[in-house]
Amino acid sequence: MTKYNRFPISIFLLLALFISGCEKGKEDIIDDVPPEIHIDFGEAFPIQCSTLKKGEKFAFRARFSDNTELGTYSLDIHHNFDHHSHTTEFEECNLQPKKDPLKPFLFIRSYDIPKGQKSYEAVQEIEIPSDIDAGDYHFMIMVTDATGWSKMIGLSIKIE
Amino acid sequence: MKRLTALAFTILIISFTYAQDKRFTLSGTIVDTQGKALSNVSIRVLSGGHTVQSNEEGKFCIKDLRPKIYAIAFSYLSFSSITRKIEIKNSSVDLGNVVMTNAHYTIKEIDVLGETYPTTLTGFLNREIVDQQYIHKHLGGSLMQTLSRLPGISNIGIGSGQSKPLIRGLGFNRIVVVEKGIKHEGQQWGVDHGLEIDQFATGDIEVVKGAASFLYGSDAIGGVIDIKPEALPEKGTVSGSFDLIGKSNNALYGSSANIKGRIENWVYGARVTYQNYGDYRVPTDTVHVYDYPVRLDKQKARNTAGREFNIHANAGYVTDNFRSVFYMSRNSAQSGFFANAHGLEPRRVDTDLHDASSRDFQMPYQEVKHLKVINRSSLSVGIHHLEMEAGFQHNFRQEYSMYVNHGYMPPIYPDTMKTPSDLERQYDKRVYSLNVRDRFSVGQHTFVAGFNGEYQNNAIDGWSFLIPGFRQYTGGAFLYDRYRLNERVLLHGALRYDHSHIETVRYTDWFPSVVSEENRVTETEHLVRADNLRRSFNSLVWSVGSSYHVGDFSLNTNLGKSFRVPIAKELAANGVNYHYFSYEKGDPTLSPEQSYQLDIGIQYSRNRFSFGLHPFYNYFSNYIYLNPTPRHDHFYGSGNQVFEYTQSKVRRYGGELKVNYRLSESFRTELLAEYVKAKQLSGSKKGYTLPFSPPPSVLTNLSWQPRDTGILKDTYLSIDLHLFAAQNEIVPPEKKTPGYGLVNIQTGHSLFIGCQPVTINLQVQNLFDKKYMDHTSFYRLIEMPEMGRNIVLTLSLPLTIKNTDN
Repeated sequence: MTKYNRFPISIFLLLALFISGCEKGKEDIIDDVPPEIHIDFGEAFPIQCSTLKKGEKFAFRARFSDNTELGTYSLDIHHNFDHHSHTTEFEECNLQPKKDPLKPFLFIRSYDIPKGQKSYEAVQEIEIPSDIDAGDYHFMIMVTDATGWSKMIGLSIKIE
Repeated sequence: MKRLTALAFTILIISFTYAQDKRFTLSGTIVDTQGKALSNVSIRVLSGGHTVQSNEEGKFCIKDLRPKIYAIAFSYLSFSSITRKIEIKNSSVDLGNVVMTNAHYTIKEIDVLGETYPTTLTGFLNREIVDQQYIHKHLGGSLMQTLSRLPGISNIGIGSGQSKPLIRGLGFNRIVVVEKGIKHEGQQWGVDHGLEIDQFATGDIEVVKGAASFLYGSDAIGGVIDIKPEALPEKGTVSGSFDLIGKSNNALYGSSANIKGRIENWVYGARVTYQNYGDYRVPTDTVHVYDYPVRLDKQKARNTAGREFNIHANAGYVTDNFRSVFYMSRNSAQSGFFANAHGLEPRRVDTDLHDASSRDFQMPYQEVKHLKVINRSSLSVGIHHLEMEAGFQHNFRQEYSMYVNHGYMPPIYPDTMKTPSDLERQYDKRVYSLNVRDRFSVGQHTFVAGFNGEYQNNAIDGWSFLIPGFRQYTGGAFLYDRYRLNERVLLHGALRYDHSHIETVRYTDWFPSVVSEENRVTETEHLVRADNLRRSFNSLVWSVGSSYHVGDFSLNTNLGKSFRVPIAKELAANGVNYHYFSYEKGDPTLSPEQSYQLDIGIQYSRNRFSFGLHPFYNYFSNYIYLNPTPRHDHFYGSGNQVFEYTQSKVRRYGGELKVNYRLSESFRTELLAEYVKAKQLSGSKKGYTLPFSPPPSVLTNLSWQPRDTGILKDTYLSIDLHLFAAQNEIVPPEKKTPGYGLVNIQTGHSLFIGCQPVTINLQVQNLFDKKYMDHTSFYRLIEMPEMGRNIVLTLSLPLTIKNTDN
C-alpha cells in the first residue's frame, strides 16, 4: 500500500465535516403558508352570482386570514361579455349572450391591511357608475401576506 | 412544403447508396482485447487502394470487391497493426470480431467516468461529456431534457418540446450555452422560452458544472453547456445519416438527415431536421390553474402541439495547420402554450375549438426563428495555436395571443394600431460575436490568452409590454496559465477583465391610464414603462486550481470568482408575466452578481470499480432575485401581485456522486446522485431557498451489453430507476412537491441489411405511467403533472456513399 491511499479518505472526512458544519446554527423560521379568503359567512358580499346595480353603491365585505401577517388586498371588476369565465366556483351563473363591450365597467384598486394582522374583515364601499354596460362581470379578490404568498378567488356577478 | 423538402432530401441521400452495381462485401467489427468496440480504425485494402474506417460501434464494411485474395491492413493509433489475407470467392465475407491489441498498456480507460485528463481549459472543472450515441439512447423532447439524466443537470420544461438547462439549480442567464464556439443568444430570461438548438446536429457536448466566467465571461456563473460541431469528414469520403424518430405520448414523428464529405482539403455538409408533435398526454383529467379547476380532454394538455424545422449547412478548408469552416443554421419552431394558463389570469377557453384536433395549435402560441452564421478558424504557427470564432445570430420570437385589455387598455383593440391585434409580444435580437485565442507553451507552462466581444441589439413589438428594447456590448480579455509542477501535479490560474455597457430604450404606453380621480375629475396619462437607461459594468475575475493524479486516484480542486452583469429584464422589466399572473418590476440600480465558488473532484477507478465525488461550495454576495412582495399593481394588468428584482446574499452547496461497477463482462451497474441546497442569507426572504431548487435525486441503472456474437450486435438493455426526494423548501409562489420514483427503459440493437447498418434505439420513459410533479417544471405551479408513459423509437441509418483514399 502506498502512502497516497490515506489521502482520499482524509479528504472525504474533511468534506463530510464541511458539509455537515453548514447545516448547524440557528434555522430561520420559514413561512410557507398562503393567506386565505373567506366569503362563507352571512354578511359576505358579493358572492357567486350576486347582482350589483348601476349608479348605486355597494359594500364589499370579506374576511382574510394568515398564519403570520396579512399584506394587502386587491379588488378587480372586469366584464365577461366574451364568456372567458375563470370563476373558482363550480356553480356557473346563467350567462347572457356574448356581446361586444362599448363602455364596460373596469375597477382595479388595492387596499392596505393594518400591519400585524392575522385576520381582518375588509369592508369597502364601491360605487358603480350609471353610464356603463350592464351584463356579466367578474369580481376578483386577491390577498397577499407579508411574505408574498398570495391567494385569489374569482366570482361571476351581474351588473344590472 | 417544408416536409416535402425534407423528404426529397432524404430520398436523394438514400438513392445514392443503391445506385451501385452488385459485387461482394467484406465486413466485421473491430474490438480491443476487452471486447470494447474501436471506432476510427483504418481498414485498408492493400492491393486495391480502398480505405474505410470503423464506425462508433467498431463496425466496418468494404463494398464492391471482386473475387480475389486481398491483403487487408488494420491500423489504429497506439494499437499494434494487423495484416490479414482474405480470400473472397463467390459470397460476401463477414470477419466477425477482429481483435486489436493495445500497444501501450498505459492508456487509461476513460469512458468509465466520462472524465478526461485535464489538458483542456475546462479540464480542472467538474464536467460531463456526452456524444451523439448517448443522445440517441436517452433522447428526450429537447436537448436539455436529454441531458437532464446527468447528475447535477435538470431542466425547466414547458410543454413537451421546450426546455432550458438548470445546472445545480441555476439556470436562465446564469448558464452559458455555447454552440460551435459561439455563445448562443436568444431570450434566455423567459421561463417559457426553450433553447433553439437542434439535438440531432450536435457533436460531443461538454457540460461544465460550476462557474467558468474566467473563460466565457458574464453569465457562466452557474455552468456551461458547450455543444461542439459534428466531426469533420475524413479525406475522400462522402457519408451521411438518416434518422427516424417516433414518440407515442405526443404522437411525434420526425426525421433528421445529413450528408457530409471531403474533397482533398475542402469539407462540406448539410442537415435537415423536421419534427411534428401533438398535444402531450398527462395522467390526469383535471389540473388546477392556481385555484381554478380546468378539465382536460382525453388527458391531453390542451394546445401544446408544435413543430420544428431546422436546416444546417457548412463548408470549409482544412489542412494540418490551418482550418476555416463556415457554419450556417436556421432553426424554426412553433408551439402552443397550454391555453388555460396564459394571460392575466387563468381562463376558460373555447374547448370545442381546441379539442377538435390534438395536432393543431391555436392562440396562444409562440413562433421562434433562429439564424446563425459562424466561422471557426484555427492556425498553427510555430509554438502558437491561434483560434477564432466569429458569429452572427438573429433570434426572432413572436408570441401570439388574442387581445385582452389589461388595466386601462381600451376594451376593443383600436384599428389605428400598427401592431396586429394578436401579436402579444415580439423580440427581434441581432447578435454579433467574436472570440480570439492564442495557445502556446513555454517550458512547463501552457498559456492561453484570449478576447471575447459581443454586441446585441434587441428590438421589441407587440401590444403588451414586459421588457424594453436595448443595445448592449461586452468585451473581455483573459490570460490562462497551466503549469506542470511534476508528473502528478498540474496547477492553473486565470485572470480576466470585462467591460460591458447596456442602454435600454424608453417605452411609453400606447394607451392612457387613469392616474388620479379627485372630486370626480379623472386625470389620465400615457405612462412611461421604462426610461432611457445607460449602465456600464466592469469586472475582474480569477480562478486558481490544481490537479493531482496518481495511479488510480485523481483530485481536482478549483477556486474562483465569477460575475454576471444584470440583464435588461432585471434592470427594466415593468409588466405582467403571462404565465405566473404576476407583475414584474426591474431595478435600474442593480449591480453585477459576484460569486465565489470552490469545486472539488475526487475520482478513483480500479478494475471493475470507479467512483467520483464532486462537491461544491458557492457564495453569492449579491444574487439577483425576483422577490414576491405583498403589494399589488394597479396600472397594468388586473391588480396582479408585484414581484420586484432585488439582491441578496446566497449560500449554495451540494454535489454529485457517481459510482460504477462492472458486475461481469456484460452487466454493469451505475449510481448517480445529486444534491443541492441554497439559502438566502439576507434580504426580505432571508432563510428561504432560491426558486426552482431541484430536489435531491438518485438514479440507479442496471445495464446488459453482451459481446457481439451471433445475432447480438451492439445489443443493450438498460433500466433506470430514478428516485426524487420531496422538495419542501420553497419560495412564493412555489408549491411543495412530493417525492416520486420513475422507471425508464432503454434498449437497442444494430443489424446489417446487406451492407447497410441500421441501429434501432427504443426507450420507454415513465414505464408505469406515474403521475408526478417535477419541481423544476414550468407547469408545476398550475398542478400540471409531467408526461405519462412515452415510447420513443429511433432508427438510425449511417450511409457510406463514397469511401476511397485519393
